[in-house]
Amino acid sequence: MTIRAIIVDDEELARQILHEYLRSESDIEVVAECANGFDAVKAVAEHKPDLLFLDVQMPKLDGFEVLELIGSDVAVVFVTAYDQYAMKAFDAAAVDYLLKPFDLERFRTALQRVRRRLGEKAAQPNPADLKAAAQPPGQHARRIVVKDGTRVHIIPIGHLDFAEAQDDYVALHSAGKTYLKQQTISSLESSLDSTRFVRVHRSYIVNLERVAKIEPYTKDTRLAILSDDSRVPMSRAGYLRLKELMDKG
Amino acid sequence: MHPVFSSKNGLLLYLAGWIPLGAMLTLVVTVSGRFRWTEAASVTVPATFLLACVCLAPWYACRSLPLRSTPKEKLIINHVVAAMCATAIVMVFAHVLASLLSPVFPRLSQGFHSAGPALAGMVDMIYLLAIAVYYVILAIESSRQAELLSREAELKAIKAQVNPHFLFNSLNSISALTTLDPSKAREMCIRLSDFLRASLRLGERSSIPFSEELALTRSYLDVEQVRFGQRLRVRQDFDPVCSDFEVPPLLVQPLVENAIKHGVATLADGGEIAMSGQRVRDTLRVTIENPFDPDAPATRKNGFGLASVRNRLHARYGPAAHLDVQVDGNHFRVMLSLPCNIEPTSSAEGHALP
Repeated sequence: MTIRAIIVDDEELARQILHEYLRSESDIEVVAECANGFDAVKAVAEHKPDLLFLDVQMPKLDGFEVLELIGSDVAVVFVTAYDQYAMKAFDAAAVDYLLKPFDLERFRTALQRVRRRLGEKAAQPNPADLKAAAQPPGQHARRIVVKDGTRVHIIPIGHLDFAEAQDDYVALHSAGKTYLKQQTISSLESSLDSTRFVRVHRSYIVNLERVAKIEPYTKDTRLAILSDDSRVPMSRAGYLRLKELMDKG
Repeated sequence: MHPVFSSKNGLLLYLAGWIPLGAMLTLVVTVSGRFRWTEAASVTVPATFLLACVCLAPWYACRSLPLRSTPKEKLIINHVVAAMCATAIVMVFAHVLASLLSPVFPRLSQGFHSAGPALAGMVDMIYLLAIAVYYVILAIESSRQAELLSREAELKAIKAQVNPHFLFNSLNSISALTTLDPSKAREMCIRLSDFLRASLRLGERSSIPFSEELALTRSYLDVEQVRFGQRLRVRQDFDPVCSDFEVPPLLVQPLVENAIKHGVATLADGGEIAMSGQRVRDTLRVTIENPFDPDAPATRKNGFGLASVRNRLHARYGPAAHLDVQVDGNHFRVMLSLPCNIEPTSSAEGHALP
């Protein structure tokens, strides 16, 4: 079986060294090379590769965002220079990673892992959860990336009105549109700035700036009316959290 | 340096502060000795002046007996004995003065016995108060000094810092070049060493000629040029007049590094970094401009380089230097302005420690 691979790195020399190391691997064929995240997402959709060598810091979309957008059918080997937080995430997720510069022996170890992984077809961790885990403490997501068919949407964090859990997905509501993304609401919550977004309900996160008024709903619950007239139910505990934040602000 | 003598108007302010104290002493002596106030003042005004001089002394005692490290008994005995001596000096002076003035104010020398204890008590209190004030001043000074020292330590750490991302990516480029183009690999090793050596060496000094800072920046750009290839374009326009100006090291290079990290590196097609420097009257103006992708994924440690440069400028020049940032759509501009100085400034001048 031939393993079809794509190399993604914004530096040409970094791509070339992967090429060189791969030359001696007869079972691996490089089907595309990409210099930025957007091209990588496109190339993955087009070529449906088995393996992706992925740099983390790149123009347009970073490595984690690419991972979120391509789904989890591809074995990914991260290739990065230095990123202490990302390494933690790689470790936890058992996706292999190479630290630049790396030698041929280390590269072959990674390929062995890839072959084993492809043989097993083991379940990959959810990429969105991985992205949240790679977040340095005290830093929050500045934007959310969502794929809709072949199109990539980037939602700046300030444009997110509220998010709603729907089974394995979250529905992200932004400027009257709804985007579905495969992620748990808890992991979305942990990637957001807790002084701007509140988990007002088991299934809802709301952008504090959008809350226009609050109305009673049932005996124990209330409704948050947003500035675009969306209605978001709040549990008792959720309402208290929101109120605490609003009092602080 | 004694706080009273450390500033130009210190002594005047100090003596002015004694006017209410002198008035108080006069009042006490007037009341307790049943004098007219002019009679009392003829003794208390000179005595207050003497006390003001005497009260300069405990500063040195306070400095040699730090509150924290001196045993309490020693502290109390020392200061109490000193206070008693000071009181004795002032009281003897007052008595002698009172008897000398008896031809003018005959009631003074007889009535002074009744006023004596109250005056002595007041003098003693004032002396002890002076000690307390000196300890407060010492505490403020030591905390300010600690802040200064910690800031200097922080600056040292910043100077010694080489961005690991840059270092490892460069090493990776060298690794790739060893088979592709061995002579270019060697060249890049040398460029990288030049940059590392220069940043270590220059980081040790408190100021360097502007031309050396530019050479350092150039060697940094040479390395990045190999990494980014066609994506990185550089245009520079520096007035040769600026070459000899003395500047703190690593002022321009971190800004150029920022321009690459947050600018050129975020663009798929790269971009041009434009640097310029000229002398405008008594200031050196440096401008660094670069395009960037406003929608780029968040890079870590955002603004770290800017903050460090701004802090160092502030520590060295205060309000005479500044760093301004302009963001115009997808265009980023940093403007640096600092006083021109041909003579090397010693580090002691910037952070004078007593």
